[in-house]
Amino acid sequence: MKTTTSRSNWLGARFSGFRPTPRFVHAVDLAGQWAAPIMICIVLILAAVFAPAFYNPTNLRTVGIQFAVLGIVAVGQTLVLLVRSIDLSVSAVLALGAVIVVQTEAGNSIIVSLIQALAIAAAIGLINGILITKRGVPPFVATFGMLVFIQGARLAYSKGQASGTVPDLLRTISIEPVGFIPAALIVWLIVNIIFIFILKYTRFGRWIYAVGGNPFSSRYAGINVDWVMIAAHTICSVLAILGGLLLSGYIGYVDLRLGADYNMNSIAAAIVGGTTFTGGRGNLFGTAAGVALLVLLLNLVVVLGLSINWQLAMQGLVLVLAVSLQGFRQFLLSR
Amino acid sequence: MAVTYEDATSKTELRSNQVIAFLRKNASIVLIYGIIILIAGAAAVFSDTFRTPSNMANILRQSIILGLLAIGQSLVILTGGMDISIDMIARVVALSIATLFAFFESDPAFIFPLILLGIIIGIIIGGINGLLITRTHANPFIITFGVAFILRGVNLAISTTPIRGVPKEFLTIYNTKIGIVAVNVIVMAFVWFLVWLFTTRTELGRAIYAVGGSPRIARLSAISVNRTLVWVYVLSGFFAAIAGLFVLSRMGVGDPGTAEGMTFQSIVAVAVGGISLYGGRGSIIGTLGGVLLLTILTNVFNLLQVNIYYQQLLLGLVVLIAVAAYRSPRTVRSG
Repeated sequence: MKTTTSRSNWLGARFSGFRPTPRFVHAVDLAGQWAAPIMICIVLILAAVFAPAFYNPTNLRTVGIQFAVLGIVAVGQTLVLLVRSIDLSVSAVLALGAVIVVQTEAGNSIIVSLIQALAIAAAIGLINGILITKRGVPPFVATFGMLVFIQGARLAYSKGQASGTVPDLLRTISIEPVGFIPAALIVWLIVNIIFIFILKYTRFGRWIYAVGGNPFSSRYAGINVDWVMIAAHTICSVLAILGGLLLSGYIGYVDLRLGADYNMNSIAAAIVGGTTFTGGRGNLFGTAAGVALLVLLLNLVVVLGLSINWQLAMQGLVLVLAVSLQGFRQFLLSR
Repeated sequence: MAVTYEDATSKTELRSNQVIAFLRKNASIVLIYGIIILIAGAAAVFSDTFRTPSNMANILRQSIILGLLAIGQSLVILTGGMDISIDMIARVVALSIATLFAFFESDPAFIFPLILLGIIIGIIIGGINGLLITRTHANPFIITFGVAFILRGVNLAISTTPIRGVPKEFLTIYNTKIGIVAVNVIVMAFVWFLVWLFTTRTELGRAIYAVGGSPRIARLSAISVNRTLVWVYVLSGFFAAIAGLFVLSRMGVGDPGTAEGMTFQSIVAVAVGGISLYGGRGSIIGTLGGVLLLTILTNVFNLLQVNIYYQQLLLGLVVLIAVAAYRSPRTVRSG
């Protein structure tokens, strides 16, 4: 937290010869806020022209489920980004949850293993939060270390074998259609309604924005900053494992590569949707738009029949462009 | 008489104070080399293979790849940033140069120009990193993370299978030996020395520390922060490119798995070596210690035939402990 505050000074000092006009600042701000929705419209139109197969009902259902999984993970990531932190361990947590549920299915009832998975996720989030707040470890490093540790633990636990079938309950809540939309979307909707409500209308939600906006003044205002950050990390890990359960329900089996690029995608989605790295700015509507844009682009690569490396390049490009735009916007606004 | 006696005591006191002050100032470096001696000593006692001179020489040679990457990473981390893209830079250089070797039908005449080209590729990618970070004021971690993803896509596009056609003469970079010690080990020792001179004795080296300590004060001291940052990422790309070429010479084929996971190891080596992840503090000598420690640990694990999955777990555990034991100097100072 201490570095981020000095960073804003640093930005101001580094580029003081540059004098943008107010109109330019306003334009960049609007572009940052509306980038995702505008791009979605453009991509949808391009899809209609170049890849009509995209509007095939089966494909739309796949897109819906992918959207729901990434959407749930991105909600957690947005909360963490809002308090000026970041969570790079989501992909490992996501995969871990699936492994736990699949492997304990043999003996235990599904409810027990679900509770187990959620408890382990909460513990991981708690440790992340404690490392960051109480030990003063930079969030990148703490969660990156956690990522390697969980991956190692998962490999040691599963002995490197991809195994197991997914319990029926998970398949039901993931792909069973309700009306014409898959159940996963309903789960996404519920999660989003809960967290939009929390962010807008509860004290905790206000605290999250306050802590991200300015940790020092929120401390003087009597907010327990450390506790808010730990809570955000815990929520993020729990949502990540929920996403992992839905994803394994959708795929139907658990392999070792499961969920590997969800770190990247969840951060990119939140940033594309207007959340800034310096905290306190952004909301879940923006994140949802970012998720939609990313899933659309990734799906179009498949529908157009391009090779898989374009997906990776696309993810990287979207992330770099979005981060550049948001970084520049934040820099202009903080002057 | 009494005066000389007093003088003598104060002199010895002074000397012991100096020793204590030296130890305190370089605590992390003393600690890391102490741990290395401890582990290497224990391994030498328990393992016959470990203490053979050829194994020792081999460890030094194995440490070169991580060493090159860790040098670049140290410079970046000293400025308070982080470069996630170095393993992908190394890979893109290795793969593209191998492809070109194959294209020129392994003609040894092209070795020198292609080495030069590889280094230029690394410098250009590093320059792009640096320019993106300084011009858009975005977070270095995420920018390089995104660039790494783009490069991952590019690498998949170049090849997913090993590329044959590297000329035999190119392999001498890895193979040539004087007695038992490889020539490249001697060259690498010289490189470490040069980098140490660079960080401690040159204007740019001091500027790197100044920018990491406080960009604002660095700017007020008439240091061009932007130029320093771009230089650092260029150097990081340069060392990554050399690491890629070295891997190519070691494998003899363009390996699509070049430098997998090396970014994380380089960060661990730097952090364990005592360079503050907030920038501005630490020494390249500590990084050398971190690199040696990681290489010796890998060697010992292999000699003891520890299961690869537990290796990952142990590495993660080492990182988490290092991270938890870590405290930022700034947090301590401000209470």
